[in-house]
Amino acid sequence: MRIGDYKETYAADEAIFRTPAVRVWMGALGATMLVFPFVAGDYLLYLANLIGVMIIGALGLNILTGFTGQISLGHAVFVGVGSYAAAIGATRLGLPFYLCIPLGGAAACVAGTVIGVPSLRVKGLYLAIATLSAQVILEWVFSNWDSVTGGIRGINVPPATLSGVSLNTDFRVYFLIYAVTAAFTYFARNLFRTRVGRAFIAIRDRDISAELMGINLFRYKILSFMVSSFYAGVAGAVWVYFAKVVTPEYFPLSLSIQFLAIVIVGGLGSIQGTILGAIFMTLVPELLKAGTEAVKPFFPDAMSYLFPLRDILFGALIVGFLIFEPHGLAEMWQRVKRYFALWPFRS
Amino acid sequence: MRRRKWIVAATGITAALALAAAGALAADDVIKIGACQPITGRFAFAGVSINAGLQDYINYANENGLVKGKKLVYIYEDTGYDTDKAVATFKKIMAKDNPVIMYGDSTGLGKAIAPELNSRYKVLYGSTSFSSELADPKIHPYSFVSGPTYSDQFGILLEYIAKNHKGKGNPKVAFFYSDTEFGKDPIPYARKRAKELGIDVVSEIVTKVGAVDVTTEALALKKTQPDFCIFQGYVLAPIPQVIRTVRDYGLKTTFMGTFWSMDKSIIDKLGADAEGYMGVSPYAYYNEDAPGIQSMRKYNEKANPKEKSRPNSYIQGWFTGMVYVEAINKVLAAKKPVTGDNLKDAIGMIRDWDTGGVTGKVTFVNNKAAVGRVYRANVVKGIFEPVSDWIYVK
Repeated sequence: MRIGDYKETYAADEAIFRTPAVRVWMGALGATMLVFPFVAGDYLLYLANLIGVMIIGALGLNILTGFTGQISLGHAVFVGVGSYAAAIGATRLGLPFYLCIPLGGAAACVAGTVIGVPSLRVKGLYLAIATLSAQVILEWVFSNWDSVTGGIRGINVPPATLSGVSLNTDFRVYFLIYAVTAAFTYFARNLFRTRVGRAFIAIRDRDISAELMGINLFRYKILSFMVSSFYAGVAGAVWVYFAKVVTPEYFPLSLSIQFLAIVIVGGLGSIQGTILGAIFMTLVPELLKAGTEAVKPFFPDAMSYLFPLRDILFGALIVGFLIFEPHGLAEMWQRVKRYFALWPFRS
Repeated sequence: MRRRKWIVAATGITAALALAAAGALAADDVIKIGACQPITGRFAFAGVSINAGLQDYINYANENGLVKGKKLVYIYEDTGYDTDKAVATFKKIMAKDNPVIMYGDSTGLGKAIAPELNSRYKVLYGSTSFSSELADPKIHPYSFVSGPTYSDQFGILLEYIAKNHKGKGNPKVAFFYSDTEFGKDPIPYARKRAKELGIDVVSEIVTKVGAVDVTTEALALKKTQPDFCIFQGYVLAPIPQVIRTVRDYGLKTTFMGTFWSMDKSIIDKLGADAEGYMGVSPYAYYNEDAPGIQSMRKYNEKANPKEKSRPNSYIQGWFTGMVYVEAINKVLAAKKPVTGDNLKDAIGMIRDWDTGGVTGKVTFVNNKAAVGRVYRANVVKGIFEPVSDWIYVK
């Protein structure tokens, strides 16, 4: 039970992990995540890796949409740019993965900067359409610039190697993915304790007053696009080492929308929410699937109805969440925590 | 007290041993076939029938004892036609049931799983895909294509055109394909093959899948006046729109399709415009009288009396099941253990295999059986009728 929240120094006030309880829990989480790959099977490991990649990508979108208030419908193609850059770096240039991952981030960052330029003039839905055009154009480039992207058949990528050890199984890739995920989560969490991060939030809350406070809107909006697409690019690069193949069909508009769904369901403007959202959006369809599989022996004929029903159920679940908890999973998590903070003395 | 404990322990150990023995025995008698099926999602229109076809053939093989002394067990899960989910499903089935044969829902899964399939899982892998890319034994040693690839299907059509074209000069052909992997797959080969056969490719038209306004494309066809126009990479739209518009312009072009645009349902959708529509099919249709198809119908009358007709995707699933059983029998005949490695070698040894008319004589070279037949729509009867014999290409 936690009683007070009393701080004696500024350092304590600004700490990321403010209370001993949080530190203990974070330590427990870290330990669990280290032990997890040793006990989990192939299937769970694969899902965990998928979630890790989605977290990095979705963090990027949350920085842009949740914290800076700039909606983007083209996040998937920035992931794609990162994937292609890393794949080309790994195959044609023969670079090691620790260079390919930043390369992927940098390439996506450049693309994001270009796409971000109109954000000064267009806002809201108009920006959504502008970024949508990026989605369409880059998707076309992926499938038609054959000499660079390998066209519709894409590029096959060899597994990453670290001092002679090939990261060719999900077990080994897990450590790569979660090392990157942890680093980028930490960076994102810290970003909003800096001038830049606070400027982003000011722009989101009211851009005119942010400008009156001396925030250079153009600079910070572009910066937000850069950071966001850098995250996307890194997610894409890590993903390449996980999937070992990259084709244009991996980055459709529906992936952009899935990223948006993750940050909305998880909680706009919340790092924790992004993580919860990525877990939710990846695991719940699988759980629903497991549910329908479980009833398969009893209703073999009903399967053709039950399978599509799963998608409807998933949709309904998301809508339900948004109606009853518009701040997303992050807020639900906070409520649960508040409840247990004084438990069992107050309910 | 001590004695009782001892008895309990002894019973426990005996039971465990018995269970293990039973398990070993069962594992020896059972051959597991896993499948990642696209039962929901964009590809569900075919996935449901492919799954039914494969499952039915496995039941049929069990009922008729086609694999001596073994029981085939079919395990399938839905993938939603999403590559990530399909890979997850693949791994899940491998971890849970460890089958020696797998079935995949897409070209994408085949490519994504290839590194681990080759290095780790080493199981025989069949799939819904006719992609030319999977027919490369160097990159995909464990995969096979259930019939001809799209390139082969184009090869069959082009050969038919070269042989049957009446009229002066070289036959003029247009390729009309979608901007997808599915659409573009056979085009480079088709260009090359057309040249070799003395066929002029007068235009190539690329569209999005399901494009609605096709006036410009139809005009392009009008300008080049092709004798034949081959569609690739579509299931339905925009094929009816293109045919209708082009007919309005008074063109006599013969339209052709490959596997996915050659199901009976396209005749129903096209109505009178289906007159003269042709294409290549790797398999016989459900209404034909070949012995292999008759036993398929007989099985369905008994097991699924509600199903009066089955689409070509059902036959694809059924045929894939036949290939699995043939490979298993070849391995068993050689008195080898049924493993992915032996099964994959067995596929390569299938030569001039008689499928009872489900398709032509099957010979697997480069992971594929390059055989197919040209069919033409009969609008009155609402069926496709063969206009050529089985055509074999290399």
